[in-house]
Amino acid sequence: MSAQQPLLTMDRVSIVMTLVPYLIEKGPVAVAVAAADFDVSAETMRAMAEGLTVIGLPGGMDHELFGIDWDLLDTHDELAMLNTVAFERTPRLTSREAAALLAGLQLAQSLPGVKNRGVVAGLMAKLARGAGATPGQLVLSADPVDDVRVAVMDALDRGVAISFTYRRPDSTSPTTRTVDPVRVLISDAEWYVRGWCHTRRAMRTFHLDRVSDPIVTDIPSASHDDPDAPVFSGEGVDSLVRVSYPNHLVPLLGQYLDHGDVEAGPERSSVALRVADDHSLKRLAARRGGAVIIEEPESARRVAADWAAAGLAQYE
Amino acid sequence: MPTKIPPEERLLSLTVALMATRVGLTKEQILSSVSGYREKREEGVKATALEKMFERDKDELRRLGVPIHTLGETADPDDLREARYLIPPTEYVLPPDIDFSPAEVAVLNLAGTVWSESSMSTDARSALRKIRSLGIDVDEPIIGFAPRVSVRDPSFAALQSANEQARVVRFTYVTPGDDTPRLRRVAPLALIEFEGRWHVLARDLARDADRTFLLSRIVGAVEVTADTFDAALRDGAGVRAERGLQDVARRNIAELEVRENSEAALRLRRRATRKGDTLRVPFVDAHVLADELASYGPEVKVIAPDALRALVVSRLQLTLAAHTRPEPGAEVTA
Repeated sequence: MSAQQPLLTMDRVSIVMTLVPYLIEKGPVAVAVAAADFDVSAETMRAMAEGLTVIGLPGGMDHELFGIDWDLLDTHDELAMLNTVAFERTPRLTSREAAALLAGLQLAQSLPGVKNRGVVAGLMAKLARGAGATPGQLVLSADPVDDVRVAVMDALDRGVAISFTYRRPDSTSPTTRTVDPVRVLISDAEWYVRGWCHTRRAMRTFHLDRVSDPIVTDIPSASHDDPDAPVFSGEGVDSLVRVSYPNHLVPLLGQYLDHGDVEAGPERSSVALRVADDHSLKRLAARRGGAVIIEEPESARRVAADWAAAGLAQYE
Repeated sequence: MPTKIPPEERLLSLTVALMATRVGLTKEQILSSVSGYREKREEGVKATALEKMFERDKDELRRLGVPIHTLGETADPDDLREARYLIPPTEYVLPPDIDFSPAEVAVLNLAGTVWSESSMSTDARSALRKIRSLGIDVDEPIIGFAPRVSVRDPSFAALQSANEQARVVRFTYVTPGDDTPRLRRVAPLALIEFEGRWHVLARDLARDADRTFLLSRIVGAVEVTADTFDAALRDGAGVRAERGLQDVARRNIAELEVRENSEAALRLRRRATRKGDTLRVPFVDAHVLADELASYGPEVKVIAPDALRALVVSRLQLTLAAHTRPEPGAEVTA
């Protein structure tokens, strides 16, 4: 995930406070395993373990208070504690840590892999009790689950392909797809399924609102390698459109801006976006009622003007 | 040659020292003996600088959840020379009766991944580290689900910490349709993500009434004041906020004509009920729905309510004006 980011001082402090009980509980553990569990690189993990041994008690008695097994580290690249004077036990959660997990549980509780374990209610109570101070009130409201979502999650759970009708915006006709689902992505309340499309013979992301008539098949899903693919990986991306927007709209445009080259200005900024065609951004422009402007090319600009004019014509 | 002690070593040494003492250590004892301070003092760093460093370190450690207690203050609360500092080990550690099953850890591992890169994801990650350090075996990971919640609103962090510390905040808020942004002074009771947008349920202290604010309409920075509010006001506020938004949606119904098989029809159908040739769509906020409906252009016609129709029409007019170039290079003002 973010193993490559440099650690701040307080991150290091917090990791050491949990690394000691971890090593005591686990016994000898490979540096690579510990690094993965703590979400840091192997070099960082090695350096942090070595750093443990220089912590001292008051008065300058610089004998090792925390001893690690140096031989084991040198010969097998494994970590083990030999002696400790503190931090033997896991610290409490802070209220923010508890709140982050509690909110995550609310969102995750409707997913089948979570629901059928039946542990959410108990966990919520434990997290609240395991925090040093009352966690703040943070709610992630889960969306109601409809038949399409149920079918996709069912197919995923059973490891079978799903077939459905898919209609892309502004396409003239829907297509029927058979897909080996790899994962369900839920981003800002929008649901997508990522999977291997039998028709296109490639990994594709489908917006579940555009899916209809789902059929869970008996065809076993093949296994597909797909490390952390972005949500925005459309079919046929070949047009470059420049869009300008007032800076205060940045939080509302987040996903678009993550994938384009931004040219920042004092009041308004602009971004060059790779999109499928001239039609791709007319809906964004209309949604923001003139605040987001398609600048180039002229053809895309005209598509947005025509789109708004056609909408208005209904009211004349 | 003076040895340079990294700050993490000083902070960890301080924590070890304060946990090892039963009666507490005075500031003088700490500065003269704890590794990191001691070396600095020997190098001749001024007492005031060292004391400031100690104050900062205490604050940082408390932020990590380390319970540092101050004992035996003298009559003068500003005079902390006599004060003794310590960390009671029982308050530092996770209560021993809290244990997690392998299934629970698997669920928590998923719950901890829902946050996109933000301070929330940092908190979730450090929480998971603590739970992993209990050394519990984990069930097979729950694969196939990647829920992601992003926190893009710049006001989120300030509101969250004010909510957590029960502190009153001040911010400028734009109510749509009212051009004058107004200063609000409120007690933030709960933060809620609903239909992909962040809201804060807050007690408006001037009106003594609860209001729900959209974070995207807060202008500029949120100021966390020194005033506190009764933390009990927060109890159940999250549930109340969610129910409140659901109630509003039930009361507000948009009546729409929607073109068959269009993007609009697909996107609206999950929320809508059909009545004759029209779709009835519940909504929380007319301006937010108008944004969405305008994006559908000719695919949707608003039948009712009138106010919603007017909002959609004005968005379409502004979009048309902004994309019609009067003459090359001329400035379009929306």
